[in-house]
Amino acid sequence: MLERRRAEIEALIARVALGDRQAFDALYEATSAKLHAVCLSILKERPLAEEVLQEVYIRIWNNAGRYAANGLSPMTWLITIARNRAIDRLRAENGQPPAAPAEAAEAVASATPGPEEQVIRKEQRRMLDNCLDEMGEAQALALRAVYLEGASYAELAQSAGAPINTVRSWLRRGLVQLKDCVSQ
Amino acid sequence: MTDTPPPPSDAPLTPDEETEALAAELALGLLAGDEAEAARKRMVEDTEFAAMVRLWQERLAGMANELTPVMAPTSARLGIQRSLGHGNQPLADVPQIHRGRGGSAGGSGGWMGWLLGAVAAGAVALAVILLPGQDQPGYVAQLAMEGMMVEAQVEGREIRVAMMEGEAHEGRDMELWWIAGPEATPVSLGLVPRDGSMTMALPEGLEPGTDVQLAISDEPLGGSPTGQPTGDIMAHSTLTQT
Repeated sequence: MLERRRAEIEALIARVALGDRQAFDALYEATSAKLHAVCLSILKERPLAEEVLQEVYIRIWNNAGRYAANGLSPMTWLITIARNRAIDRLRAENGQPPAAPAEAAEAVASATPGPEEQVIRKEQRRMLDNCLDEMGEAQALALRAVYLEGASYAELAQSAGAPINTVRSWLRRGLVQLKDCVSQ
Repeated sequence: MTDTPPPPSDAPLTPDEETEALAAELALGLLAGDEAEAARKRMVEDTEFAAMVRLWQERLAGMANELTPVMAPTSARLGIQRSLGHGNQPLADVPQIHRGRGGSAGGSGGWMGWLLGAVAAGAVALAVILLPGQDQPGYVAQLAMEGMMVEAQVEGREIRVAMMEGEAHEGRDMELWWIAGPEATPVSLGLVPRDGSMTMALPEGLEPGTDVQLAISDEPLGGSPTGQPTGDIMAHSTLTQT
């Protein structure tokens, strides 16, 4: 993301934390199409995605004050809230218990990342595409299915025709490789 | 998803790798039951583990860049305003944040000073967004179709898309496309709002100019399943400078 856009969104979130409705409107205009796409990608159904999108922005309004403390970049924080809410909803629709890290991931305080850590994060984001390509096609596809469509281990196992534990250790290995690749 | 059976695994993961994989699984929402519970608890108690989870969220969010933005219907925004009790206040009535003067608000400096500093910085950044660069010309395109008119206005790096007349067909969506030149591949700007207007930042890499064409295609609900227009082109128009 361009640094300027990052700074703009960060400034809007800071104002939303103070109850500034105008900033909330501006934040909605700048980010809702992306967050709607995230909800739609996971839920595949427009009315459901719209409902979850509303929950997401209500949560953003209520939790904006915690943003500064959690050290995520602003778009990651917003995308993570949208994705977590959409996945919880997907599991609920399928009668499964919630799986998202919930409040914890959005709110646990951390030291604000210093400039060095921010550079590292940016670099890792940039590397992600290359590393997904290197990861092996099937693993990258599975990871995309999990992240962008909310697939569970059970669903991956079913489509691969393999036991859940086998699929799980296979994907875990892929995740460790991906981490090594992006942190090179 | 995965046609090939997983390859046989090699050596087991080391304890550090196990922790790394667990952090990734928590970030991905792949854990369930007791395991999920334990991982969430660990996230609160173990700052190093929490940092790992956040780093995974940061890495993985890059994948969301692959998604084409899809404008949300106006009803979503109204629903949010209603739930939060924001109502339809005219902008003039929205409480403004005052910068305050020095330490009068809450003791000397300290967190209050920091907060006010943050607000002032926010105000400056917002002014930058809201005032389109003087040197950047604005553009407009009007897309007329049977019983409908959609207008797109580009100011700086923002595009505002408005349904000026008429209503989208029931059960179908209209998708807006940016075509940079005669040979260019259309880039989706998302769905045309079913009513009202929507403003979004132009995706990076799109440069407004008079050689740019905007087009609207007829698509199933939710937009093109392929990322390229699949239905009839209902209207198209070049950008003209305002």
